[in-house]
This record gives sequence, C-alpha cells and structure tokens, in this order.
Amino acid sequence: MKQFIKMSFVDFKGHLGPFRLEEFLTLNILNPFLTLVFYCLLAGYTYKTSDLTSWVIGNSFLLCTSVCIFSLGIVFTREKQCGRIRSIICSPLSKLQIMLQKGFFPCLVCILTTLVGFLLGGVFFHVPLGKIHWGLYGCILGVAMVGACSFGLAIGAIGLLTDQMHLILNTVSAVMLIFTGTNFPVAQLPFWGRGIAKVLPLTRSVEAAKLLCDDFTMEQIMRLLLGEVLLSVCYLIIARLILVYAEHKAIKEGTLELF
Amino acid sequence: MKILLKTIQLQIKNSWIRPMFRFCLIVNPIMNAFFLYHMFLQSGQPNFLSYVVLNAGLMALWGCICFSSIGDIERERYMGTLPLIYATPTSFGLVILGKIIGNTFLSMSSILISYLTVKLICFERIHIGSPIYLFLSFLLLIISFSSVALCIAYLLMLSRKTSLYMNLLELPIILFCGFAFPIEELPVWAQTISKCIPITWVVKLLRMSIDGVSNTEAFNRSFGICMLTTGICMVFIWVIYKVIDMQIRVNATLEVS
Repeated sequence: MKQFIKMSFVDFKGHLGPFRLEEFLTLNILNPFLTLVFYCLLAGYTYKTSDLTSWVIGNSFLLCTSVCIFSLGIVFTREKQCGRIRSIICSPLSKLQIMLQKGFFPCLVCILTTLVGFLLGGVFFHVPLGKIHWGLYGCILGVAMVGACSFGLAIGAIGLLTDQMHLILNTVSAVMLIFTGTNFPVAQLPFWGRGIAKVLPLTRSVEAAKLLCDDFTMEQIMRLLLGEVLLSVCYLIIARLILVYAEHKAIKEGTLELF
Repeated sequence: MKILLKTIQLQIKNSWIRPMFRFCLIVNPIMNAFFLYHMFLQSGQPNFLSYVVLNAGLMALWGCICFSSIGDIERERYMGTLPLIYATPTSFGLVILGKIIGNTFLSMSSILISYLTVKLICFERIHIGSPIYLFLSFLLLIISFSSVALCIAYLLMLSRKTSLYMNLLELPIILFCGFAFPIEELPVWAQTISKCIPITWVVKLLRMSIDGVSNTEAFNRSFGICMLTTGICMVFIWVIYKVIDMQIRVNATLEVS
C-alpha cells in the first residue's frame, strides 16, 4: 500500500511539475467555478428561476472533467511522450495496479474540486446548504469521482491507439455536459440520447445528489450508487482490455510509440 | 494586400489540418447547438431557435479563436518559425493580422454548422428580423473578434504558458460578452467589465438584427460604441506591440520568453 501511495504521488507530482501553485488553483478551482457560474446563470435565464440548487449540484459534479477527462485522458500519451511507455508495458507489475496508481491522486483532486465548487456555488447562488445530508453527499461524491476517474482512465488508454486525443477528450467532455442530466433532465433527450446517458459516469450520481435536496428514500440512493459502482468496474475492465489490445498491437506491428 | 491575402489563405490551410481546430469548428458548434436547444426548449421565448443558432455559433467561434488565433504565436515559436516571421521585411503585425483574419473567417462557418444542426434537430423555420443589419453586424464581428484576438495574442507573446491561458480565456469571454444570455443577467460590476469589450456590442447588434431593428437610433448607438471600443483596442494593440518589440530586442527573448 505504501508503495502504491508513493508511486501515485510521484506520478501526480510529475503531472503538477509545470504548474505553480496559483496556476494549479486557477486551473482547478477558479476556472471550474466560473464554469459553474456560467451554466447556473444560463439555467436561471432559460428556466426563469432563482432556485438554482439542482444546477449547482449537477454542475459542481461536472467540474471534475478538467482532471478526470483532460488530465487522466492523456496519462498514457504523456508516458509515451516521456519515453516511459516501454518500461510500463514491459514491467511485471499488474497494469491494473499501474492504472489505479495513476487515478488515485487525481480522484482526490476531483473530490476537492467538486466539493469546493459546490460550497462556493452554494454560497453564491444561495443554496440551502444546511438542509443537505452531508454524510450521504460524501458517499455519492466519492462513488461519482471513482466512476469519473475510471472512465478517464479508459479514455486515456485509447491514447495508445490514436494521436487524436485532443479531439476525443474535448468531444467526451461535451458529451458529458449534455448527456449526464446536469443541466436538463435526461428524459428530455431523444431515445438514443437516453441510451448514452445510461452508460456515462456521473448520470446516476448527479441524480442521487439532486435527490438529496428533495424527498428521497435510501433505497433510491443505494440503487443509483450501486449502478455507478458497477459502471466504474466496467470502465476499469475496458481500460485494461484496451491496454492488452495495445500491447498485442505493439508486439505485432511495432506501433507502440508511433502514435 | 497580396501578403495579407496569402497569409489568410495559408492560415486557413494550416488551421484546417489541426484536429483541435476541427473539433472547435465542427464538433463544438454541433454540441453547443444541441445543448442550448435543450436548455432553451422550456424557456418560452418566441424566437428561441435563432438565439440557439447565434449563441452556439458564437461560442464555437470564440473557441476557435481561443485555441487557434491566440496560440498562433506560440505555435510559430514552437516550430522555430517565429524569428523568421519577425525578421522578414514584411511587417510582423501584418502577418499576424492575416493569420487572425484567416482564422476568424474560417471559424465563422461554425455559425452555419450550428444553423444546420438546429435545422436537423427540429426542422422549424428560423426567423431573422433584419438580414441587412445582420450582415453589417457580421462584418463588424470579424473586425472586433480579430482585434481582441490580436490584443491577447500579443500579450501572450510574453508567456510560455499559452496553452494554460487559452483554456482560461475561453469561458470568461463567453460569460462576460453575453454569448449565451444577455449581459443584463450579470451583476452590475460584471456588466461594467462587459461594456468595455467590443465583442459585447457586436453580440448586442447581432441580437438586435435577429429580433428586427425597429429602433435604428439604438442600433446606430451600439454600432458607434462597438467601433469606438474596437478603435481603443487597436490603439492598445499598437502600444503593446511597441513595448513588446522593444523588450524582445533589448532582452533577446523572442524565442525563450
């Protein structure tokens, strides 16, 4: 476990390397907060309401995309650029462990970003923060971020097969904004859109978190969280399968470092 | 003029081959239009489809400018062509202006893409109140977007973290210039900032043109303020260009800053 934490921290430190503290805070706190303000104001304008609680909750969860999609999405591409990918592939260490190491600290940053975004947004838009069941909120947040990071790792693994990661990551981020039900109900989407929503991370967590400000039963919350956990496991399996496929392709075609 | 046109042509070709630019130009307006359509669906606004097309197109247009025009100087530096452009007998400003106009011109097709997306979603008629005024506003849009992009591009010449600032600049402009909703929704202090940016006035003109210009005086006033703020922006560009030029020559930091 000690080795796991150490390796996770080294990896995370490598990611932080080019940034100063104020730049890191601007990128992970200020910019996400502005994003939240923008979508909440847009919702206030289009839905003509001053009660923005459900939008603050939903959009605060989406703030994690800057880390779980844009940072985790390029982990393997970055390893390739730094010339480490060969060592990772040849290492006898489990690839799943390597992936989990890469996701551990980003997941904590996601939790922090979402929490800070929610608190700041809550104060800014007068959300009744006292009414929230914080214990349940913490559980939902944790499960949601694990799901989002697993999804980010699965997307990141695609980086071993293509050089179009900027295009993919930005598209995925836009898809998450539209189809996770953060700004308008999933029921409003067409049939195929509801199908996409079901396989995306955060859809169930956002629904569960929104329920916290409404009448809810524990059964409803647990059902949604279980769905999210299962989805996270599926994404980790998909990420592992993509790595296996990339490994085989690299052995066959010698293209590991080509893309 | 020939240099300007050649630079515009070259820039359009260069931008098109970049995957990120293709995302901003094609995927972004589609996604924006789809998102805004669903957001405005319950708004009860009579002419909401026109706003969806305009807002989605403008957001995508600014995205293109942010991730291309503003980063062009950094890209030239990275490829090692910045000193060549700088030292060539043609004015450096003219080359950069050509690049930015080329990008803005190409990026305007995102408005067309958002229009086609909305048409595909609901097949309904999209009403434009005053097409001639809209055309005039679009001409002004090219000038004002180019001037703001040029201003930011020069400022970012001094930094090596252009990609960080490109990401940070996208949303504040969308928020403060009223791309998605009128600036009257913002707090008063934010509205004051908004009114200093020429883009805000262009967006206002575009909205007026879509609604139909019934009060020509109000249109002319906004048009005048837009020209004035764009003029101030251009003077500012000239001043910072001189300062940066001096700094680069004294410190020899063109390729390293």
